[in-house]
Amino acid sequence: MKEWQPKILAFLCNWCSYAGADLAGVSRIQYPPNIRVIRVPCSGRIDPIFVLKCLENGFDGVLVSGCHPGDCHYISGNYVARRKFAVLKAILEFIGIEPGRVQFSWVSAGEGEKFAQVISKVTEDIKELGPAKRLVKSF
Amino acid sequence: MDNIEKELRTVIAKLFEEKKIDLVIGYTKGTLPLVSTPIFLKEEKDVDKLIFDVSCGNNLVKYLKRHRIVNMKDTKVAIIAKGCDGRAIVQYIAEGQIKRDDVLIIGVPCEGVVDPKKIRSKTNGKEVSQYRIEDKKIILKGNDFEISLNKSDVLSDFCLRCRYPNAPLYDIFITEPTKSVGTKDEYEKVNEFEKLTSSQRWQYFENEMSKCLRCYACRNACPMCYCEDCFVDQSNPQWFGKGTDLSDTIIFHIVRVIHTAGRCVDCGACARACPVNIELDLLNTKAGKEIQERFGYTPGLDPDETPAMAAYDAEDKQEFIL
Amino acid sequence: MQYKIEKNDISTLIDILASVYDLFGPVKTDGLTKLARIKSASNLDLESFNTDESAKDIFFPQYETIFNFKDGEIKNEFDKNRPIAIFGIRPCDAKSFLILNKAFNNGGVNDSYWNQRYTDAMIFAIGCNRPSQTCFCNWVNQGPFNKEGTDIFLIDLGDDFMVESCSSKGDDFLKNVSKITLQNPNPGDLDKVNQIKREAEILMSEKLDLAPLKSILDTQLLDSPLWNEISAKCLSCACCTYLCPTCHCFDIQDEKKPGTNQGSRVRMWDSCMFSLFTQEASGHNPRPTIASRMRQRIMHKFNYFVENFGEIACVGCGRCVRTCPVNLDIRGIIKRIKNEG
Repeated sequence: MKEWQPKILAFLCNWCSYAGADLAGVSRIQYPPNIRVIRVPCSGRIDPIFVLKCLENGFDGVLVSGCHPGDCHYISGNYVARRKFAVLKAILEFIGIEPGRVQFSWVSAGEGEKFAQVISKVTEDIKELGPAKRLVKSF
Repeated sequence: MDNIEKELRTVIAKLFEEKKIDLVIGYTKGTLPLVSTPIFLKEEKDVDKLIFDVSCGNNLVKYLKRHRIVNMKDTKVAIIAKGCDGRAIVQYIAEGQIKRDDVLIIGVPCEGVVDPKKIRSKTNGKEVSQYRIEDKKIILKGNDFEISLNKSDVLSDFCLRCRYPNAPLYDIFITEPTKSVGTKDEYEKVNEFEKLTSSQRWQYFENEMSKCLRCYACRNACPMCYCEDCFVDQSNPQWFGKGTDLSDTIIFHIVRVIHTAGRCVDCGACARACPVNIELDLLNTKAGKEIQERFGYTPGLDPDETPAMAAYDAEDKQEFIL
Repeated sequence: MQYKIEKNDISTLIDILASVYDLFGPVKTDGLTKLARIKSASNLDLESFNTDESAKDIFFPQYETIFNFKDGEIKNEFDKNRPIAIFGIRPCDAKSFLILNKAFNNGGVNDSYWNQRYTDAMIFAIGCNRPSQTCFCNWVNQGPFNKEGTDIFLIDLGDDFMVESCSSKGDDFLKNVSKITLQNPNPGDLDKVNQIKREAEILMSEKLDLAPLKSILDTQLLDSPLWNEISAKCLSCACCTYLCPTCHCFDIQDEKKPGTNQGSRVRMWDSCMFSLFTQEASGHNPRPTIASRMRQRIMHKFNYFVENFGEIACVGCGRCVRTCPVNLDIRGIIKRIKNEG
C-alpha cells in the first residue's frame, strides 16, 4: 500500500519565504511535495481565522512562514504576527489540537536550503500525527 | 452593603441636582431573587431604585458605547463600576473606544457577586424567594427551606480569584475601596487542565462545546466584544457555518478567545450569560495567562499602555518558530 | 378516563415505551435538566421544575440535514426511525407542539421534516404541582394541569400517579398496556388531585388578561418610542428565542465541501434577535436596531401569530425570563404594553 501523504497548506510571505521557496526550486533542492502554497503580502496578513478555516476544511497541517525578525518589508508585520501566532498556538494546543499541526517559521529569500528543511520537518511531523480529525468538519 | 447603597443614592442625587450628569447606568432589583437588572436612570427622583449588592453581576460597560454613540451624543453619562467594570472602561480608553472624559466613573467596593448556578446546586434546584447577607454568610429562604451558606461557597469563580475588586480609575468612590481580594490562585484551573493529555483536553472541549446553542449570549454580554460586525455574522464571505456543527462551534469559541486575548478583564459576563453552563472561563483564562507570561501585560489597568496584541517587542520569545 | 398507577410502575412503563419508541425524558446533566434519550427510568428527573431547554429540538432539531448532494445528484437521507415518545414534559411544552404544528402546516404547505417526527409521536406530560416563580402559563390560557397537546397526562400524587388518556393514541396505549395495573381511583384520590391543583394555583403569579394585547400592538405601537425604552438593556442575543418552545424561525444553507461538488443542504435555527436575520444581500438591513428586532419578536408572538393562527405564540414556560442575561422579563414587557392601551 502507498504511504499516506498529508495535505499541508503553507502561507508564505511575498518578500522572504516565497522567494526562499523559489530559490529552493531553482537550486533544485528536493523537498516533499505535500505543501500547497498561498502567497501573502506579509506574515502579518495571517488572520488566525485562515488557519482555523484550513483545519476545518480538512488540511492535515498548516505552515505560516515570514521574514526573519528585523527583515520585514513592512518594518513590523512579522513582529505583530509573532504575538498572534504565540496566542493562536497556545490556544490550539490547550484545546487539544496536536502540537505540530500548525507550525511557524522564518525563512529569508536567501535560505532555499532552510526552506527545504522546514518543509521536510513539517511534513515528517504531520506524517507522524496522521490524518487530521480534530476540528475537521464532515460535510 | 446598606451603607454603600445609601451613599450611592445620595451621591447620585447630588450629581443630578448639580446637573453634572444626565444618565446613570446602574443596577436595580430584578424580577427574580438574587438577580439584578441594569437600569438607565435619568431623573433624580428615581435614585432609590439603585441597588448594589451580591446580585449585581452584569458588566455595565457593555452599554457605554451604545448609550454614548447611538442615541445620546450630548448626554453626560455616569456609570457604576465594580473592579471588572472599571477595568473594561480602562481597556475601552486604551483601545480608543471612548475618552476618559466621556464618562463619570463611580467606583463601588465589590466583594464579589453570586453565581446563580452555584446557588442552584446548593439548594438542590429549589427556588430561592428571599435572601439576606450577614457578614460572611448568605441566608437563602425558599418555600419550604432556609439555609445559611458561606458567601464564598456561592460567589462566582471569577470573584474568588479576582485581583482587582476596585475600579482602577474613578471620579467618585462610594465609601472606601475594598481590601478584600480573591484568594484563589488565578491560574489554578488552567494549570490543572494543562496537565491532561491532548486527547483528554480535546474530549473535554468536544463535550463542553456540544452543549453550545450558538445563542451568542457570551459574546453579546462581553464588554470587550464590541465589534459592529462580528466575524460569525459576516456573510460575504461567510467564514464558518452558523449551525451547531461541532467544528463550527468550537472554532467560534477559539476565535472569540483569540479576539479577546489580552483584552479580557475577567468579569465573567460570558460564563454568567451562558444558558447551558459551558465553562467558558477556562479558555479565556488560558489566553490571559499566556499574555501575562509572554508579554507581561494585564488588561484594564493602565489606559495609556498599548494593549498587548496591538504592540510588539523585538525581543518577544519565539521558541516555537522554526 | 382516569386511572391510578403505582409510582414503582413508572420504570415498567418506561421499559415498555423504550422498547417501542425512540424515547426522551428529562435527565439531570451538568447542573441542568435536559431532555435526553432514555432507556430506563433510572436517571429520570421528574422533580425539577422544567427542562432548561425547551422540547422543540426533538421534532425541530437545531441543525438538521435536509438532503445531501454529490455531483448533481440529490439524496434525501431521512431514515424513518422508530416513532418518538417524550415522557415527563410539562404542559407548557406539550402545548407548544400544537402551536409549532400550526406554523409547520399552513396554507397547504406541510413541513415533512417536522411531520415525519411529530405526527406519530406520543406525548406523556406531567402536571406541575410546584410551578416556578417564572411560570406564567395562566396568562396565555394555560395552566399547570392543562392537557392540550398531550396523549397521556400524569399527576404526581406522592405515592401514585394519576394517569389520564387525552387522545385516541393515548386510549390505544392504555388499552394495550398489560404489564401495569391500572387501578380505578377512589374519591380520596380525586380529592387529592383537586387539592394539588389548588396548591399549584396559589403558587402561580397573578393572572393577566392578554386579550387586549393584539389590538394595542396592531394599532398603536408600530412606530412607538416604547420599543427603544423596552429594549434599552437587551443584549440582542438569542437566549430567549433559542430556549423558547414556540420560536421556530430557521435558516437554510448549503454547506459544500470545498473543492468538491459534495455537501448538504442544512436547516438551522435562526433568531429574529440577530442583526443578520434580516440582513439583505445589498447590505441593507430593514431591522438595524435592537429596538426594531425586539418589536418583531413581541409582535410575532402576540400579534402576527394571533392574526394568522388565532392564538398567542407563547406558552408561559418562563425560560426566557429565567435565562435572560440582563433579566429583561417578558412579563414586564407585556404589562408595559398593556398599560399603553
